[in-house]
Amino acid sequence: MTAGWIIAGLFVLIVIIFLSYFNRFAILGNRIDNSLSQIDVQLKRRADLIPNLLETVKGYTKHEKTIIKEVTDARKALISAGNIESKVKANDKLESVLKSVFALAENYPDLKANTNFLELQKELATTEDKIAYSRQYYNDSILSYNMLCTTFPGTFFAGIYGKKKRDYLQIAESERKPVKVSF
Amino acid sequence: MENQRINFDDQISRNKVKSVILMFSVFLIVVLLGYVISYAFEPGYFFTIMIFSIIFSIGYLLISYYNSDKIAIASVGAKEVRREGDYRQYYDLVEGLTIASGLPMPKLYVMRSNQINAFASGRDPKHSVVCVTEGALEKLDKKELEGVLAHELGHVGSYDIRYMTLVAVMVGMISIISEIFLRSLWFKSGGNDDNSKGNAIFILIGVVLAILAPIVVYFVQLAISRKREFSADASSVKFTRYPPGLIGALKKIKEENQPRDKKINKAIAPLFFANPFKELGSTHPAIEKRIEVLERM
Repeated sequence: MTAGWIIAGLFVLIVIIFLSYFNRFAILGNRIDNSLSQIDVQLKRRADLIPNLLETVKGYTKHEKTIIKEVTDARKALISAGNIESKVKANDKLESVLKSVFALAENYPDLKANTNFLELQKELATTEDKIAYSRQYYNDSILSYNMLCTTFPGTFFAGIYGKKKRDYLQIAESERKPVKVSF
Repeated sequence: MENQRINFDDQISRNKVKSVILMFSVFLIVVLLGYVISYAFEPGYFFTIMIFSIIFSIGYLLISYYNSDKIAIASVGAKEVRREGDYRQYYDLVEGLTIASGLPMPKLYVMRSNQINAFASGRDPKHSVVCVTEGALEKLDKKELEGVLAHELGHVGSYDIRYMTLVAVMVGMISIISEIFLRSLWFKSGGNDDNSKGNAIFILIGVVLAILAPIVVYFVQLAISRKREFSADASSVKFTRYPPGLIGALKKIKEENQPRDKKINKAIAPLFFANPFKELGSTHPAIEKRIEVLERM
């Protein structure tokens, strides 16, 4: 009789452990998905700011067609990019051409003093911070997930539930090197 | 890294458990106070007073649990900050940090004070508030301010805010109530009542309790801050990945020579980023020590 109760108790305990690990995988997996969509949100926000910026810049710099076109192209590439890797890549490209736009502004005092331009510049800088943070959080989330997958006892449950390690978001080459600004 | 994360989870559950224990002990203390009061003054109304004190303490717990952040904010007279308002950088920085930490956006406040300081409060991350002083917004640069705000979000994420605010509000209130009790006893012993022995004993207990309460407050406040500040500093670095920001802010606080802020209630001092009362160095670890730990990161 007592033995029966003990076995029943153990069974319940095992079920609880299995469920709790299932939940942990689900929670950490969701966190990765959420942080991924957060990157998307911030990238989109940046892409949305660019047309306004270009309008302002165009008004002051009639002869800088190439740079404007570069930014427009980079923005298009960002919008049309499919998966997160290519998005991040396109974003890095956009970031470097944007830097040359702001460097360009140094030659146009009127543009530099334009409140709209300043506002956009600030806004883009904030968005850039947020993009960096969202990527950092994405990698942090992957780290927690992978730790659960690879350390005991999580690795045991990962095998049962078919969970595998996920890949980090790579830092692009352009971010490691200081950006070269050409005029 | 994983160790840190596990510690973080541990911290959360420890704070939740401690909050429950705290609330339960506050309940017991209030009921005990009611018991003593009823014996000391009106033994005839024992049950009425006991029932009253039980209802009172439950109500007190519920009110302080759900409103502790509002009480803390009200006690420093802070103003709410919105996205469109004047403090754009402040708002943007916190928004960026919520992305870095995965926490929901707290309500933001600014309080009038020339000191560089900040605190966070609330019962959980969804109902959290962050408040900084005008002095901090003026004197700190962007990276330093970000370090301080990330420190506060560290308190939010670890549920320090729940426990610390509960301690500040509840225990702070107990000390006030017991002080009132002590004062009324003072008056009573001045009169020519019949001093039966039973009454005298309970008056004695009442006095002891009332003297003990502020001491308990003192020790509880000592216990809550020190380790938490270090771990919140660590979370800050985890979110910003930039120790020099926080170090810069701490150095500026160390160098600034502001007079103590009279508006800040002593009970909520442990909530703050840096001790608002310089001469009472006990509620916070020494700034030098915090800088030293950060520089090793």
